[in-house]
Amino acid sequence: MIKVQSLVKEFPKKDGTSFRAVDEVSFEAAHGEIVCLLGVNGAGKTTTMRILSTIFQPQSGTAQIEGYDVLTQGDMVRRNLGFLSGDTGLYMRLTPREFVTYFGRLFGVGDDAIKARLNEMAGILDMHDFLDKKMEFLSSGMKQKVSIVRSIIHDPPVMIFDEPTSGLDILTARNIISFIRSCKERGKCVLFSTHIMREAERLADRIVMIHQGRVLAQGTLEQMRAESGLSDLDDIFVYYVNQAGTGTEVAAHEF
Amino acid sequence: MNFKKALVIFRKEILEMLRDRRTLFATIVLPVVLYPVLFIGFSAIMSRQTEVLEKRGSSVALVDSLSLRDAASREAYNLILGGLQATPYLTTLEAPPRLEQLYANKDIQAVVTLTDSLASSGFPTYKVGIRYDASGDQGRMLYGKLEKSLLQSAQTIIAKRLSELQVEQDYIKPLVIRQIDSSTDAKKMGSVLGMILPYIVILMLVTGASVVAADLVAGEKERRTLETLLVSSATRGEIVLGKYLTIFTMAMINVVINLVSISFSVSYLVTQLGLEAGSVKLPIGSFLILLLAMVPLATLFSALLLSISTFSRNMKEARTYEQPIMMASMLMGMVSFIPSIQISNLLALVPVINIALLFKAVLIGEWQLSHLLITVGSTLLLDVFAIWLTVRLFRSEAVLFRTEDDSGGIRTVKTNRRGFFNPLNALVYFSLALAALYYLGSKWQAQDLMKGLVQTQLVLILLPVLLVLRFLKLKSGEIRQVLRLRVPKLKELALVPFIAISAAIVVAIIGQLINQIFPFPKEYLEQMSKLFELDRPLWQMFLVIAVLPGICEELLFRGFLLRFFEGKKFWYPVLASAALFAIFHLDPFRLLPTFLLGTLLGWLTLRSGSLINAMLSHALNNAFALFIITYAAKPWLKGLVVDGENLHYWVVLPALLVLAAALWAFNKITATKEVS
Repeated sequence: MIKVQSLVKEFPKKDGTSFRAVDEVSFEAAHGEIVCLLGVNGAGKTTTMRILSTIFQPQSGTAQIEGYDVLTQGDMVRRNLGFLSGDTGLYMRLTPREFVTYFGRLFGVGDDAIKARLNEMAGILDMHDFLDKKMEFLSSGMKQKVSIVRSIIHDPPVMIFDEPTSGLDILTARNIISFIRSCKERGKCVLFSTHIMREAERLADRIVMIHQGRVLAQGTLEQMRAESGLSDLDDIFVYYVNQAGTGTEVAAHEF
Repeated sequence: MNFKKALVIFRKEILEMLRDRRTLFATIVLPVVLYPVLFIGFSAIMSRQTEVLEKRGSSVALVDSLSLRDAASREAYNLILGGLQATPYLTTLEAPPRLEQLYANKDIQAVVTLTDSLASSGFPTYKVGIRYDASGDQGRMLYGKLEKSLLQSAQTIIAKRLSELQVEQDYIKPLVIRQIDSSTDAKKMGSVLGMILPYIVILMLVTGASVVAADLVAGEKERRTLETLLVSSATRGEIVLGKYLTIFTMAMINVVINLVSISFSVSYLVTQLGLEAGSVKLPIGSFLILLLAMVPLATLFSALLLSISTFSRNMKEARTYEQPIMMASMLMGMVSFIPSIQISNLLALVPVINIALLFKAVLIGEWQLSHLLITVGSTLLLDVFAIWLTVRLFRSEAVLFRTEDDSGGIRTVKTNRRGFFNPLNALVYFSLALAALYYLGSKWQAQDLMKGLVQTQLVLILLPVLLVLRFLKLKSGEIRQVLRLRVPKLKELALVPFIAISAAIVVAIIGQLINQIFPFPKEYLEQMSKLFELDRPLWQMFLVIAVLPGICEELLFRGFLLRFFEGKKFWYPVLASAALFAIFHLDPFRLLPTFLLGTLLGWLTLRSGSLINAMLSHALNNAFALFIITYAAKPWLKGLVVDGENLHYWVVLPALLVLAAALWAFNKITATKEVS
């Protein structure tokens, strides 16, 4: 499970001041649940996820993955975490088999287990034809499948997807969506971020709206509809942005 | 740290490298092909061309203008003619008609003219003129052939004359010189290889390592794979170690392939040239020592290049930042070309140069274990530092996820009304000042050194700064603020002498080291000593050499020019102004010492917020030099000074200790940052 409490992340700016990218963010996500971080570009979604995956260190606040602290138990956090983003690159000179094996080994998974899991996933995702081709020759859909297998090769209980469908064509994006659903079905704890309202509507059990580094609102879609009296998620988002009064009044048509 | 994971990364990186054609080409194919082509191919083509040229044949005209047609002359003529006719691929024409035209058309390529004169002894001495075109290969070759043939004819004549006189041949050979060379062929070959090899191997090492290094982190950033690696359960330390081992391995593979390829090509070439073969191969023992010596260098470069790659946002940037390292190591590697330098315990401490010189020593078989140990040890120490730096960089978010820099923007100074203080303006101002110094200052100093120095400081250095500040319409309070003319704390002032004197010693010793590696030209030293041997009272010298530069140069560099580079970063203005300060001295030999001094002075200024500290330090530094030179001969300075001008090298140790302690203390008491 994921537990985030009063997380703060600031980046120094050139003029000596600092920019607060994540401002007192708190939320939780449980096993068998899909939680969506929803916000426009630059809202602080990626920064939050990078803190959760131990790439960044927060200035204050805490975050835990499966009870392990991101600051002090980075290694255990990463072991329990699968991470996938839409623009992840691959090593073009390796084959999918070598690539997945490499990350499996880095996670300390035994070679036999890697082999078995790769075979299983390749069957599910229909990858057997290109497992031993160099990745520079694969299509973007094939590449995305390789990334999926890479992200769960160590069978982590928690999955984090950072804008997983951005830049993908519609068919590839559907693969990802169904993969996210299957993670939930397997009882994993899933956190994914997006700026696409429809995606959040279709996938999320709970939504955490985030804007200018702050959490505007969180809850199920139904709760948000009830509170705002609006039905469309676009409108609900704008409603909360204006409620927060962060200085940038937004009209619905801007989204 | 889990070594197994580092090894997983290492194996994957090597696999990737071996699948990359560019890397394969640079590290393996190029050295394997380059040297055979260079040495063997080139020499083969050369000898083939020589043969072709020879077989093409040439014609020579023999013109006989012997005025005395006596029997002896006729005989000499026939002898020469016979000799020429016996020379292969040579056609000899006897006094052909239209000779000049034939020569102009190149139908004949040389003209041999015989005249004679009666020597005072009564025997005829024949004068032989050989007219040929020395600018062409064919002409030079033909001349050689003709000369050889003529000398043979001369020998025949000598033999004949001696036998007429009934004198033994040996009579005219009172001395027979025989060379007895005590060096072995291996050593001779070693001295030749010792000049070229270190340079080539160091160059190849850096080139090979830099191709790999740029790919490993900057490449991962560019291809967006780094994040994936960072969220794997490998720690940053393991990632750095794995990548570091990759660069090191590829660099060493490169070195081995280069060495083998070179030694193979050279020995093949030597055999081809008909030199005593066999003895010139690199003995396997020295080969191993060379490899051992290259290990620390390879580790050092691997760590340095890896840190550059980590710092860079993409591969292009990494390649750009790698350039200075490559240039510096190439320059340092070139010391092997300088004939007089040999490795010493001291030089064994200087990175890159030590390896190049050790390499040379090993090749001529004159190396010492102490040199090897110091070289390896000092390089390894640097290594540890470089690796530590890389791991630190790898742990820094700001570096790993560095975004677009806004470098080159206008920095803000409090009194920066017109955006005047920006780096570009600094360079413009500096160029003008430099031109004035070069054209006016040196002219004034050549006329009258003492007066010229005063004029330079006051008119060229100080006055323009004040004029510009007036031009900016700054009030006197603002001018003081811009130039940081603030009275420093007493504690700071008390520390400055310790810093200044110990730094002066360290910088002087660095200067001596440079002098040892690249000896200063004699004229240069004379010029320098002129400065200190002025026939003036000491107080005047003190004013002109210490006080005046302390005030004027500090106002220009640390007070004025430093402001142009200010921004968020602390070190940028310090280093930039120090670089200008170093260039301003128009002296390639003191570039590094003045740069270091400038860095120290800039640090003192920014750290304390007061220019007075730097002025005092600068003045003391110059006064120290004056003091040493003035009193070098005194018995109470004997312990410190050798040869009447140089400091003992051991002095650097206490000086470094004092400097470190004083800098630490200065840093401590100025801990509150300057509020600007």
